[in-house]
Amino acid sequence: MSGVAMPLTFHGRARAALSDRTLHEALDRATAQLRSRRSTALDSLEHSDYVRDVARRARMTALRNLGALLREFESRLTENGCRVHWADTADDANRIIVRIAAEARVRRIAKSKSMVSEETHLNAALERAGLAVVETDLGEYVTQLAASRPSHIILPIVHMTREQVGRLLQEQLGVPYSDDPQVLAGYARAKLRAEFLRADMGITGANIGVAATGTICLVTNEGNGRMVTTLPRVHVVLMGIEKLVATMADLDAVLKVLARSATGQQLTAYTTLVRGPRRAGDACGPESMHVVLLDNGRTRLLAGESAEILGCIRCGACLNVCPVYRNIGGHAYGDTYPGPVGAVVTPGLRGIGNWAALPDASSLCGACRDICPVRLDIPRMLIAMRQEAVSCTPQPAWLRFGMRAFAWTAARPPMYRIVARLGGAVLRQRARNGWIHRAPGPLGAWTTCRDLRAPARRSFERQWRSRTEARHDRA
Amino acid sequence: MTARDAILARVDRAAAAGRVPGVPVGAAPPDERDRHDVLARFVRELRALGVEVFVEASDGDVRARVQAHVSGHRTVSWAAARLPYGTATVVSDGIPWDAAYADQASADVGLTGCDAAIADTGSLVLLSGPGAPRSTSLLPPVHVAIVRRDDIVSTAAEVFSHAADRMAQSACCTFITGPSRTADIELSLTIGVHGPGRLVVVVGP
Repeated sequence: MSGVAMPLTFHGRARAALSDRTLHEALDRATAQLRSRRSTALDSLEHSDYVRDVARRARMTALRNLGALLREFESRLTENGCRVHWADTADDANRIIVRIAAEARVRRIAKSKSMVSEETHLNAALERAGLAVVETDLGEYVTQLAASRPSHIILPIVHMTREQVGRLLQEQLGVPYSDDPQVLAGYARAKLRAEFLRADMGITGANIGVAATGTICLVTNEGNGRMVTTLPRVHVVLMGIEKLVATMADLDAVLKVLARSATGQQLTAYTTLVRGPRRAGDACGPESMHVVLLDNGRTRLLAGESAEILGCIRCGACLNVCPVYRNIGGHAYGDTYPGPVGAVVTPGLRGIGNWAALPDASSLCGACRDICPVRLDIPRMLIAMRQEAVSCTPQPAWLRFGMRAFAWTAARPPMYRIVARLGGAVLRQRARNGWIHRAPGPLGAWTTCRDLRAPARRSFERQWRSRTEARHDRA
Repeated sequence: MTARDAILARVDRAAAAGRVPGVPVGAAPPDERDRHDVLARFVRELRALGVEVFVEASDGDVRARVQAHVSGHRTVSWAAARLPYGTATVVSDGIPWDAAYADQASADVGLTGCDAAIADTGSLVLLSGPGAPRSTSLLPPVHVAIVRRDDIVSTAAEVFSHAADRMAQSACCTFITGPSRTADIELSLTIGVHGPGRLVVVVGP
């Protein structure tokens, strides 16, 4: 994707993605594997339904008591020696982090993977402030070198083949070409090891925060999350205000489903539970630790029909089962969070105005709801988002008039019968062997990619009426 | 109004709208797990993760096993008092636990104890503290961990409830479940990205 300008609209981006063969192959391979790994890990878990219910309860309870939990979390963090900052907007969060860096005379920053920092465009803000920042998750590091963005919540470069990664590292790092993932990871290890050792500041997100203990939980497989919370002298956590659970028991409930849903592991290689900066006698860990709590549209979501989406634990499972995501990939969604969850979260956080097309990026098949470890009813929320989109974006005059005319007609049965009979006759005239290849007016959108069956000679309503009459006669 | 107060006021108002569904949860299913086979389960899970695991019968056997893994290799290890079974005595070419990071990173092996172990997931639980820094299990390419048999429990939930006080005393608790890994490139499993690519667990009596 590097250097290629992305089309401006969702439909334009989706169309471009649909004609990208390499992307399709990469997506097919990865999502199929992730689906089967997840089902081995979660569905085969003993009492998996109960485990999912408990995880859902942990998240929903936290959202219902969010105000109290945030206050408790703040108190515990402070007792643990952390500084707590609150940010209304993405810009506020970035400004706060730049200021922390300036006050601590930070020059080099190592970051572990954080979706919320993608949401705020933190890297660009840090670079504008003259700070050197490097992504340390292998996939994120590759996207940074490619000047691109992640296309999947847990697999940032799912859209790239190993050959593409090999050529990129060859160009950017001056290393010999290889398409062996083990060799490529070795290049990144050597390069990033030096960055970890000289970074002044580590920046992470938070997979989960625990209100009762002021704990920040980070899950990583590579160990970069451990590096950036262990070696640099300052640690900054940037997290959305919704990522809390009440207790360590609730944390356990979420951890039980998170890795299983994401990668099919029981737990990720490293689950790091941080409780503040280094303590007396410690030989490592940051000297100071800051937690930035970000709103950026979350309270608006919490007040609306789609509040439930804030319970998302960002496992990415809904992406892998979504027929739309599997065909267009993550970049087409145009923002940080792709897939079914993104189609709700993006308009929810950014406002429906510029993102009205996203809730339509779904066939409402319900696969996302079935796979979700915390049982989020994403189709319901997509429909609510569609209603919001219709009510606050101007609809074309013909559509508004057409819907009003339909409503008027449908409320008057004799009139409805006449119109239905006329319309049926017109369509049947265009049909050949019972199929219409090119339909008139707005129906033309249907027939651009499939045929339309000609309406039956006797309408459903007429058939129904004669059936019930026959039944009455028998009685 | 500060950002804090504004956000909390919005959260409270939003919560009052009552849009978050409640979650009725049925009774917990009966726990039919056999708690006598935690060691066997632990070993099985570790092997599935690609961890080299050894179960030793005596203190001396543990020391001999550890010695076999550290002799001839530069080893950074936890403080002697933090290593069980007197294992510190077998480290000859040692880098102290509080050495500069660059020195620790140049070691071949990191030798640590372990505060608890979880059989169900094959996880080691390490609490940071004086003499037991996180860097030892992170910077060298090989991590050798010594586990006392009595410290093995079945589930993470048991660690959270039994070790709550010790966890509160520590700045960082790390669950280590297998060697460092990634699948970022075409989902192909790659071992040893940033953390140790080799994990050896020695279980003592």
